[in-house]
Amino acid sequence: MNFHSFSRQLGFGIALFAGLAKSVAAGEGPTVTGVQIDSAGQRATLTFDPAPGTTQYQILRAPRLDQPFAVDPTGAVDGFVWTGTGLAEDTGFFRVQAVEIPPNQLTATTLLQRVAYGPSPDDLERVRALGPDAYLAEQLAAESIPDTLDIAAPGPVWRKVTLSGTGSAPKLYLYLDGTGETYLDEIRLVEGAVEDPAKPNLILNGGFETSLGTNWIVSANLAASALTPDQVHDGSLALHVVSTAAGSSETTSIHQNLPASVVATKTYTLTYWYLAQPGQSGHLTVRLSGSGIASTVSLASGADSPQPLFAKLSDGSASFNDLRRWHILRAIQSRRQLNEVLRQFCENHFVTQYSKSRDYFDNLAYDTTTAGAIATQAEFRENLKWSQALLRPNVTFLDLLRISAESPAMIVYLDTVGSKGNGSNIANENYARELCELFTFGVDNGYDQQDIVQISRLWTGWTIDLVASNNVANPFATRTTNYLDPSVVTNKTSLTNLLGTWSFVYKSANHNTGAKKVFFNHDAAGAVTTPKLVPDRFGAPWAGRDYSISFPAATGTNTIQEAYTLIQHMANQPFTEEFVSVKLCRLFVHDDFQIGYDFTDADTSPEEELVHACMLAWETPSHDGQKGQIREVLKVIFNSDLFHSHTASQQKVRTPLEFVTATMRALRATRPDGSSTAYTDGDLAFALSRMGLMLLFDRAEPNGYSETAEAWISAGTLAERLRFVQAALMPVGMSGKSDGGASTVLDPVGLLQLKAPAAVRDSGLAADYFLDLLFPAEGKANLTAYRTMAVTFLDTADDGVTASPFSALNPASTDYDNRLRGMVAALMTTQRYQEQ
Amino acid sequence: MTPFHHLPRYRPDSTSTAFVPNMNIINRRSFLTQASTIGMGAALASLTDIPLVMKRALAEGTIGQPGPNGRTKKLFFIFLRGANDGLNTILPLGDSAYSATNRKSILIDSDPGNPFTARGGALFPESGTTKATFDYTYGLRLGNGFAGMHPALKFLAPVYNAGDLAILHRVGYPRQSRSHFDSQNYWETGTPNNNLIHDGILYRTMYESGLANKLPLTAVSIGSSLPLILRGSKAAMTNLTDPTRYNLLAVPNTPAGNLKADAALAQANQARFADKRDRQLLSLQYQNLSSTLDIFAHLDFSEAGNTFVDDVATDGDQPYYLFPTTNDKNGGYSRAKDAAKYVVPTSAYGHFQNLKSAAMVLNKTSALVAGVSIDGWDTHSKQGAATGAQANLLRRVGWSVYALQKYFKKYADQCRWEDLVVVTLSEFGRTSIENSDGGTDHAEASAMLVSGGGIKGFQADALGGVKRSAVFNCGGDNDPIAWQVGQTGSMFQAQSRYLKRNTDYRSVLGKLIRDHLGATPDQLKRIIPGYANPKESLETRGTQTADKTEIIGEPDLI
Repeated sequence: MNFHSFSRQLGFGIALFAGLAKSVAAGEGPTVTGVQIDSAGQRATLTFDPAPGTTQYQILRAPRLDQPFAVDPTGAVDGFVWTGTGLAEDTGFFRVQAVEIPPNQLTATTLLQRVAYGPSPDDLERVRALGPDAYLAEQLAAESIPDTLDIAAPGPVWRKVTLSGTGSAPKLYLYLDGTGETYLDEIRLVEGAVEDPAKPNLILNGGFETSLGTNWIVSANLAASALTPDQVHDGSLALHVVSTAAGSSETTSIHQNLPASVVATKTYTLTYWYLAQPGQSGHLTVRLSGSGIASTVSLASGADSPQPLFAKLSDGSASFNDLRRWHILRAIQSRRQLNEVLRQFCENHFVTQYSKSRDYFDNLAYDTTTAGAIATQAEFRENLKWSQALLRPNVTFLDLLRISAESPAMIVYLDTVGSKGNGSNIANENYARELCELFTFGVDNGYDQQDIVQISRLWTGWTIDLVASNNVANPFATRTTNYLDPSVVTNKTSLTNLLGTWSFVYKSANHNTGAKKVFFNHDAAGAVTTPKLVPDRFGAPWAGRDYSISFPAATGTNTIQEAYTLIQHMANQPFTEEFVSVKLCRLFVHDDFQIGYDFTDADTSPEEELVHACMLAWETPSHDGQKGQIREVLKVIFNSDLFHSHTASQQKVRTPLEFVTATMRALRATRPDGSSTAYTDGDLAFALSRMGLMLLFDRAEPNGYSETAEAWISAGTLAERLRFVQAALMPVGMSGKSDGGASTVLDPVGLLQLKAPAAVRDSGLAADYFLDLLFPAEGKANLTAYRTMAVTFLDTADDGVTASPFSALNPASTDYDNRLRGMVAALMTTQRYQEQ
Repeated sequence: MTPFHHLPRYRPDSTSTAFVPNMNIINRRSFLTQASTIGMGAALASLTDIPLVMKRALAEGTIGQPGPNGRTKKLFFIFLRGANDGLNTILPLGDSAYSATNRKSILIDSDPGNPFTARGGALFPESGTTKATFDYTYGLRLGNGFAGMHPALKFLAPVYNAGDLAILHRVGYPRQSRSHFDSQNYWETGTPNNNLIHDGILYRTMYESGLANKLPLTAVSIGSSLPLILRGSKAAMTNLTDPTRYNLLAVPNTPAGNLKADAALAQANQARFADKRDRQLLSLQYQNLSSTLDIFAHLDFSEAGNTFVDDVATDGDQPYYLFPTTNDKNGGYSRAKDAAKYVVPTSAYGHFQNLKSAAMVLNKTSALVAGVSIDGWDTHSKQGAATGAQANLLRRVGWSVYALQKYFKKYADQCRWEDLVVVTLSEFGRTSIENSDGGTDHAEASAMLVSGGGIKGFQADALGGVKRSAVFNCGGDNDPIAWQVGQTGSMFQAQSRYLKRNTDYRSVLGKLIRDHLGATPDQLKRIIPGYANPKESLETRGTQTADKTEIIGEPDLI
């Protein structure tokens, strides 16, 4: 960091000095810049610029420069202004010093912002306790982190329902909307707008601890309902509700006549617990006659689990939206956060487009739904392969590149599927160009148009076919002859009646059999001259290397090897090492890395040095002799000074995917019973689309989604980002809620009760808790303006004018709930929340 | 750090904040004036009939200043992203190399009944009420004796014949990049082969106007993100993703709740923070959001507000909706329920929603520039001929230009058709020879369309012949570096494979920025640095030294 230093002598004797902190004895942190002094009489005001990650600004004073500086007790800091009073003439010299966040805390935050999809309350606590090194070591060895998200079937979960309304009539009904079952416990109705345990329960035997007796009257469609000890929330028994037909009113429900004191002119609050279970599809209704209070809740649980989605994706029955939901839910929930980030990096680097595959299969023979399912499979399989490859300690870039090259999604996407080079056919250049420009070397980095033409010929013959499922790894397999329905005699060859998997196959008859010379120079007439050599700018050990590669004229199935040889050759050239390292640095550090550095130049930047260090790590073979070890390159980045300092912290803007998942994670803490304070079924792809057309698995352009802020931030996309957090934080049922995801239920009140019980009735502490959770790298002293905003919000009524102390609100009331939701939404709509 | 290529000669701007020692002070100051900015926005929107006169910050040029008619000159751009095949847009029908040998499945034939050799206006085939809108499948002759137009561009014919359209072929730039992303960047920054310029050519134009930090709106795009052509670090241009959703919510979501949330946001926006990479950008765009919410709230972007219709009947039918956003507003479909009577594909509704919004913004607000993008031009496989993938995209373009002409003639008040120029951009053209997939690959020069009431367009002579052709660089009268025909002709003269340019896109944009929008020659040198370099030959005919190619300089457009 570069600190400005200057000193100034003021006419009346107060002097200001700002120099390098380390050069003078007192204090620890860096000296603050932009310091100005203004004084009158015995009063002096210092103003200064914010310094990154500052927990406290200290004003130090020394009577003379050769004497030690000590904290000045005469004034107080307010924001970025200090006012001191009672100062004598010739007071001496001032210095403003920032007390920084401890380095480990800063790194812990950067890790959660980049290596993970944002801090969650639990992860933030854990990483701060564990220390950044241990967390990083754990994330780098993803295979050692238990992850059962895809295989652990979701279990039943007790959910609590609370709602207030009028006592429309003294009768309570409960019923299902069809055949089904659930468990019900602890049903309470009390007078007033809040759930008050001190008030008497107006429902008799609401705990279902004694027999239903005459209090609860059971209709015929619910006759099998009974008390049970099998599933209980509280006490020793609960009501097992078993329905054979939909209920709607007194004669089709389990009902209770309430005291006549329940009247429409008064407000009451109903609470109850019910058991939601996987596989259930119906709804439970609990209401008063006249519906002054009425609740209808889903009996299903597990919609926030990736497991059912993974099961459908694995057996081929998944829809495209299932794939997107699975991807988003894993990003939110997986403990292998780095692997999730890298999986998305692969998906985005080796970009393919679902709808292009769907249209391809649609045009072949299939109906649109089937075509969509096949295209979904293609996207899922390549994604799963990357995910599995990344669990291998010695995974190389070539491994990831090969998965992409062999993926039917890629073969269709960049038109290799129909490219022919035999006879007079001109090979399609699409894949060849993007292989060089986007997947390996980087634009104009070591290749030219002649190379693209040569490479396009190498890939001719790479196509896809429907092969038997035991043949998916055999590129010479012929079309499957297994029939979906063997009884269909006619039209057996119709694709729609064949059972198999669309896979990469090689058709040597379409291959260009001529000799190919790649990475050679050419004369003006286009004739091959000399091999291309690695440019001088790369320095040792690369400069001057001949990186040309030649393929003799050949025919037959062995020509499949040509393309494999090519990517093996390209994967570890310095151009690839440079470009992919640059992309990883942009992902994990900041956006200002580029290809084209002169690595021999003495005048280097930290960015250039980091890319160079990544390339050297890439170039070093592991014990199995393979270059391009991904984890070794990542270690270089994560251990760099750039990553550990303010040069990385909060220097990037969240992409829509990062913004949406970070929002869910930020409020997602796990309660002791295993439930969480932030619920979503992952159906959020629409929000990503609105925030700048980030279409997961469906990008049209082959360059992938941008990492830079400029690509994502405009007035229109900001409006969508702000709407999203505001809607996500709305309680269920509020107008506009669907913008945040129809299923999204965020519970900031529950989070505060869980993590900071002392803050529940204290606006200042509540603001502090959320400020630390949402802006952990900013430093307390830099957040005073946000804090003032948050505290004012909490202490003001919904009209925005009337004072209404947060501490006076009942934490169980709707007012309290809205107040806290609104404050958290306000913090999440700020500029700083866009960053990571 | 020394990048190995393209050292910067010129750096008018950068997205890096490194050059701004303390942006927070600047930003804070601008936020303090925000209240008055919002007030001005509201006034603008409600007083749409009063021409806005802002005091210029720079005493130079007339960009954004009202002319003698009391109105300002404006620009509308349509970016065709993915590289449009210019050879199948403006067809060199008189070139023997434009043939089925080279373009096996994608060739557009010339019409034996309407020979391209005939001179006059452009052919506008009408089919009567019972026929489809696009049943003509031959190349539409352009009347210069050589060139034709893709039949999907049929609705450009009336615009051309009205003298409101110039058609330019063979447009490119030196040392053409065949990367979509680099080449789009070069078009947008106006600095070919320079990857160190990070701000856009139209951003710089707005910045030079001196209005960019005074008006809440100077340039607007409607689309998924703010395009590079409008990006820059000293002032925010505006991008709207969905104008119908351009407002904020709150908890609770009531009018008072919204005011409370807005106040909290405004309070938070004034907070100062330490410098970080994206903080100036965030600050400017947040400010832009606050200052434009009110302006756009006064415009009716809803479907119900889409009532704009043509003033003439097409194909003997009733006047069509100008902005087809539903089936019933798409050509003659609503009466016949006949998909063949659509004027645009149903997949184009999103585009026409954007086009309508952009047109309304240009007419009703202070914005001087508005633009949209049409994606999907990268036709490596199954490009199609008279129908198919490219044709479906061209139909959007043809109808867009037609609709804008009609909208700004019939409905616009603050910005009339004579105040406007509409220009299409596309990063490069495609290979002259088709590949094995019925598609074309990345190549060099392509075509550009420039239309507007003030364009030097086609003029018929008294006998129905041509007094002035507005087809540039594709045969006929207006072809100063004549199109060479045959297998070694113009279609193969760039790297022995591709259509060779004879016009630099910067000459086209430069001409428009200076002679239409009102930049001074000095301003133009800052907006398009190539204008300061005689070796670029952007102004007058000459040879571009970078790759020794002769170009025509500025086309005589305006």
